[in-house]
Amino acid sequence: MQRTDLKLHLKKLLVSELNLAGRDPAALDDDAPLFGDGGLGLDSLDALQVAMLMEERFGVRVPEGDEARPIFRSVRSLAEFVEQNAEGRNSEG
Amino acid sequence: MIAVTGLGAITALGGSATETWEHLLRGDRGFREVSLFSTKGYRSQIAGEVVSMDRVGAGGDVSRTSELGLLAAREALASAGLVRDVARTDAPWGILRVGLVMGGSTAGMLETESILSVLLRPEGTVDPAAREQALGRMLSHPLSAPTDRLARELGPFARVRSLSSACSSGSNAIIVGAAWLESDLVDAVVCGAADALCQVTLGGFNALGALDPNGARPFDRNRKGLTLGEGAGFVVLEDVEAARARGAHVICTLRGWASRSEAHHITNPEASGEAPARAMGAALARAGLAAADVDYVNAHGTGTPLNDPMETAALARVFGEDLSRVPVSSCKGQIGHTLAAAGAIEATITAMSIDRGRIPPTGGLVDPDPACKLHHVHTAYKREIRAALSSSFGFGGMDSVLLFGGAPADNGHAKLRRTNRRVVVTGVATLTPAGLLDGVDVSKLPSLPSCGEAIGADALLGLDVNRARRLDRTSRIATVVAEKALAGIVASDVGIILGSAFGAIDATSAFMRRLAEKGPRFASPADFPSLVPSSPAGHVSIYLGLKGPAMVVADLATSGECAVTQGFELVRAGEMDCAVAVAVEERSAIVEEVLSVLFRAPTSSGATAMARREGAAAVALSSEEAARARGLPILAEIADVIAWTSDTDPLANLAPEHGGVVVLGAPNAAVDEYVARSSWADCPRIACSDHAGTHEAVGGIAVAVAAAIIARGDAASALCVGSARGSGYALLLRDLSR
Repeated sequence: MQRTDLKLHLKKLLVSELNLAGRDPAALDDDAPLFGDGGLGLDSLDALQVAMLMEERFGVRVPEGDEARPIFRSVRSLAEFVEQNAEGRNSEG
Repeated sequence: MIAVTGLGAITALGGSATETWEHLLRGDRGFREVSLFSTKGYRSQIAGEVVSMDRVGAGGDVSRTSELGLLAAREALASAGLVRDVARTDAPWGILRVGLVMGGSTAGMLETESILSVLLRPEGTVDPAAREQALGRMLSHPLSAPTDRLARELGPFARVRSLSSACSSGSNAIIVGAAWLESDLVDAVVCGAADALCQVTLGGFNALGALDPNGARPFDRNRKGLTLGEGAGFVVLEDVEAARARGAHVICTLRGWASRSEAHHITNPEASGEAPARAMGAALARAGLAAADVDYVNAHGTGTPLNDPMETAALARVFGEDLSRVPVSSCKGQIGHTLAAAGAIEATITAMSIDRGRIPPTGGLVDPDPACKLHHVHTAYKREIRAALSSSFGFGGMDSVLLFGGAPADNGHAKLRRTNRRVVVTGVATLTPAGLLDGVDVSKLPSLPSCGEAIGADALLGLDVNRARRLDRTSRIATVVAEKALAGIVASDVGIILGSAFGAIDATSAFMRRLAEKGPRFASPADFPSLVPSSPAGHVSIYLGLKGPAMVVADLATSGECAVTQGFELVRAGEMDCAVAVAVEERSAIVEEVLSVLFRAPTSSGATAMARREGAAAVALSSEEAARARGLPILAEIADVIAWTSDTDPLANLAPEHGGVVVLGAPNAAVDEYVARSSWADCPRIACSDHAGTHEAVGGIAVAVAAAIIARGDAASALCVGSARGSGYALLLRDLSR
């Protein structure tokens, strides 16, 4: 999957799985922070859900604790993490 | 003053309160590899599993949870010297009115899991007899099933209640029992909670990353989370003077209590500890005591990274500089977190610590976290305790605190406080497949044509999409009606009592399916909190910012009447000034199949199954004083509520005034007979099920309709009656302006 496609795929996944009703996946900024103010406004319960989804859909295991922070920074960082770790798995899950 | 005269507990440490206590003091940890089911793939293979109980027989509503509860409640009654005379069916407890309040969260989940392989296969691929037998085991699933089992085995009781507020359920059962005593509804009450281990809770906390594989270490720098436990705890409460008059030993006293909500997040505690501190302050105020009088705190202390510093912050708010003086310990490093049962088990431990003058330790604590700067207890020691706090915090931010004191030397200062505030209805709303009604418009509901089976999605569109994103459908329906009925009332003491018979049964089965098919790693952390029976009350509290007591009650077909009854009881007893009582029942394919198998409801020709729909109602309640002070509209007064558990003549003392109307949820033969024998026999009769269909919340719709009819001036008084299986509720509403 091309990186652009992957990012859009991730955005759609976030919007549908985290119930971000009213958000248009295509309009989400690649670099907008996922957590806290000024972005998607996700919290630690969402982080757990996203980590579970990353493993289920892309076969990549997100490390726990502080190591996960840079991965969860934005859609771009999530996509980079998937690309680096997916090892040819079927990203459509 | 309220005396504690009986204690009972069963935990991983022992089969009785005393055995648990002795092991607790020795610092023993009750954690062992789970034997009830496979723990392959979980972060933790250990739990505080009870080993002192024989294998539970199957059948009917019997579950591991009910049997744990039965053992602890029986022990509590026996230790209080309350002996039932079964030969005297009219008065089994002599002159005493004895009540039962039971909290829970898992109920028959372990048993439901055992039939999962049958439930998950499509109909037609399983032998019909096997499927029917499996569905029969679902009788143990409802929140009220263990309570019904206890009532049958240990009762009859004068008043019975099932409730859940997740991990503060046990504390809230004791609070409801205390309110019943102060309102003179019972003379003695056995109250507590039980929860058995099951895969859903282990899978849920596993998904939340909240299990410590090495066993919980409350307040420790290296703590990784909780260890699940199971068990039951019960206490017997009664008036000190009455207890002594009948020769009972007063173990200690229940001096104060309070329940408050954080209105913050469905799983994460609010870090400042503001709500628990508010509850502790209210419990102290109720007792007329100061923080300086407290010599021991039995903490919630789960060992999760978030709970323990939050609890420390809450204690620091209450105790200030004095905090370093007060020993604080948690039992959860030895017993595990027994979820709903925790507050009740820890109440028995706190009572024993006062009675025996010993401070129990925090098992598992080695290296205290600087963020939990408390007077920790590494080994048990002797100390006289004047008063002790026990805290319990539940999912959804439902925080309850109990304050125990010693037995008074004489009865002079031990008078039981009596409370009896007038309760009024300040707003009503209903949601049926036909749509949303509120205020006096609700009076039109019974005359509307019936319309579809399900509530349309458009009825829920008014909710804020961001704030509502975690709400499941039941919680959305509940929030819509609660918001309408409250009409903008927001104050720190507004409570929510929500009645629901079956809870999120379809969501639970979906969660279990994922757990079974994909393994624990792929259980959904975000879905788990919605499976806890109390979650709709938590979601409404968070969405609307309600910071008073929040809990769910259940009583099968009369869950709607039960919710209004408990809201009425707690406002009358002064537990809260304002509350919203919500009745909600969502359509569920599984519930419908179970009901059709169990009750052989005709599906093609008969009316029962055809009319089964879904719906909700909310009744905003307030003390008359608070309603007048806040300038709230008064639709009607709830003049009296009768709750009965055996077939008597429950309506004998309820008479219509200046023209009355009988408003029923769903009429049945028992209700018809009660009404026919009463002074309401000749009054006009309205059945809400003609429009709203049959479901467990329809009794709540009836109360909303009755209040609206009175508010419109169409009747001066109204009677709502709901009854099933010999028990029931009757609510008398009247026009306060006449």
